[in-house]
Amino acid sequence: PVLPAGWAADKDFKATGTLSAPTPRNVEPVGPHFLAHARRKRHQRTFSEDDRI
Amino acid sequence: MSEETSPQRVAIGISFGNSYSSIAFTTGDGKAEVIANEEGDRQIPTILSYVSGEEFHGTQAKAQLVRNPRNTVAYFRDFLGKDFKSIDPTPAHQSAHPKEHEDSIAFSIKDSEEDVENERTISEITTRHLRRLKNSASDYLGKTVNAAVITVPTNFTDSQKEALTKAAKEAEIEVLQFINEPVSAVLAYDARPEAKVSDKIVLVADIGGTRSDVAVIASRGGMYSILATAHDYEVAGAQLDQVLIDHFAKEFIKKHKTDPRENDRSLAKLKLESEAVKKALSIGQSANFSVESLADGIDFTATVNRTRFELLANKHIASLTRLITHAVEKAELDVLDVNEIILAGGSSHVPKIARSVQSAFPEGTTVLAPATSPASINPSELAARGAAIQASLIQEFETEDIEQSTHAMVTLAPHISKAIGVLCISESTEHGVFRPLIEAETPVPVRRTAQIATPREGGDVLIKICEGIREIKVEKPEAKPKENGKKDGDDEDEDDSDIDSDEEPEEIRSKVWKAGTALAEAALKGVKKGAKVEVQINVGADLSVQVVAREVGGKGGIRGNIEKPAVTQNGSA
Repeated sequence: PVLPAGWAADKDFKATGTLSAPTPRNVEPVGPHFLAHARRKRHQRTFSEDDRI
Repeated sequence: MSEETSPQRVAIGISFGNSYSSIAFTTGDGKAEVIANEEGDRQIPTILSYVSGEEFHGTQAKAQLVRNPRNTVAYFRDFLGKDFKSIDPTPAHQSAHPKEHEDSIAFSIKDSEEDVENERTISEITTRHLRRLKNSASDYLGKTVNAAVITVPTNFTDSQKEALTKAAKEAEIEVLQFINEPVSAVLAYDARPEAKVSDKIVLVADIGGTRSDVAVIASRGGMYSILATAHDYEVAGAQLDQVLIDHFAKEFIKKHKTDPRENDRSLAKLKLESEAVKKALSIGQSANFSVESLADGIDFTATVNRTRFELLANKHIASLTRLITHAVEKAELDVLDVNEIILAGGSSHVPKIARSVQSAFPEGTTVLAPATSPASINPSELAARGAAIQASLIQEFETEDIEQSTHAMVTLAPHISKAIGVLCISESTEHGVFRPLIEAETPVPVRRTAQIATPREGGDVLIKICEGIREIKVEKPEAKPKENGKKDGDDEDEDDSDIDSDEEPEEIRSKVWKAGTALAEAALKGVKKGAKVEVQINVGADLSVQVVAREVGGKGGIRGNIEKPAVTQNGSA
């Protein structure tokens, strides 16, 4: 979309809302991607930290 | 990938079914392979039989259902870990009958050389079965198997799992993990080298011998969450066999005036041969039925073609299809939301089932079955393959690690209830075209990146992030538009397809996105003509969102944060 005239925000970014309530669900503990997820969660790493390792 | 090997674990995948069991292992290059036992069977009947103290297993035991039914134990998986009152003994009617034994179940069988009946508990029987499977795998691999990942149905209770763990331990098998059968099937497909992990809704229909199970699974970047399950014990392979049993019995009566179904031994023969005919009809257009001395010492041969069988089985196949569409409803989804259908279980070989399912879903939906997709994997092998892959992934882990990674972690993932994406084309929420970046039902934390086109002339660009709601648009002149609810769905911007429904045969239903809550706006200034903008959205475990937008090939870009729900404020870099 084209930037409308007169649009301005701090550092060009404006948050206007937040996410809707999530649904709590179980992830199936299966497959390589889950194991990577579990590893991140247990070591409390973020994606980028995990990428570096 | 750690290279440390814990005390020589040799792990396989076991699919333990009521009718058939399979064993699989993973080769050095990561490919799952199903192991054939000494008799050359990959689908090993879950049957044990005893003839003067000698134990028969698999196909050999199955043959004993005719001559020696009372000392043959079959269809016992679902009895494990249950009390006598809660089981349905119907499948075991033609073999050894289950009996109440303390708080569990036992069978009275003559399994020693003496002519005495011994009470063998269900757990003992399971142990013997698992031991035979283990030995077959050990012989093949040349190493003693001591661990396994075992597949179980989604409605298997903790006490059933506990009983199975115990029975496996008696057979000297360490159960590394129980995984759900449908998830195992998805993993078997996703682990193929040519498979691309993506965000999709997968429906797994496991049509077995004595039961049919359906699961709707959200596959999000290789992580699977079960949205809904449905089970049916009324329609499965046994009912399809019954159709043929009745057909041949009637033919026999016409010629010889006796009903072979009234004699136990004749019925057992009829049953075995009917199953074989059914299997032959999944491959060929016609099959021969032939039993020596079926009843009253009369041999019987007949032929049946596939069309005839399909006609006779029509009713059952229709109810299987209903079971599948019902599961989609249970997940609060529409058939348009389902991207892929995996048919698993032995009865999925029947071509008519695959075609019937295909016709209930839009054309774009892939039905992975031998009859509808050349890329499909043998439906009988899916569960065992998935288990073998999982076994190879975790066999180096410490037992404690497996427990920790599979328990607390699992329940702790909130799933995004609405899709998050970028609004393209127009700046107004009402007229924009929504492009989902993160699908609904994606567990957090998650990160997704996409490239979007900018206005042709370039210049300053506004990037608008919002939530999207999937709606089903029904276009049909006279019929009143029926809205299948405003469920948050997923995938593909638009997917027009015809659906054959009885009352409104020509309605055109399609999936459309409606923009929901706007989350953030960001401005990228001085974008080159025709350039693309890369947008990355990061949702944290606490539901805070981080947005990064930059021109492809350009420097800098902007980043901003959206706070977790409850507080709204401007983010900063």
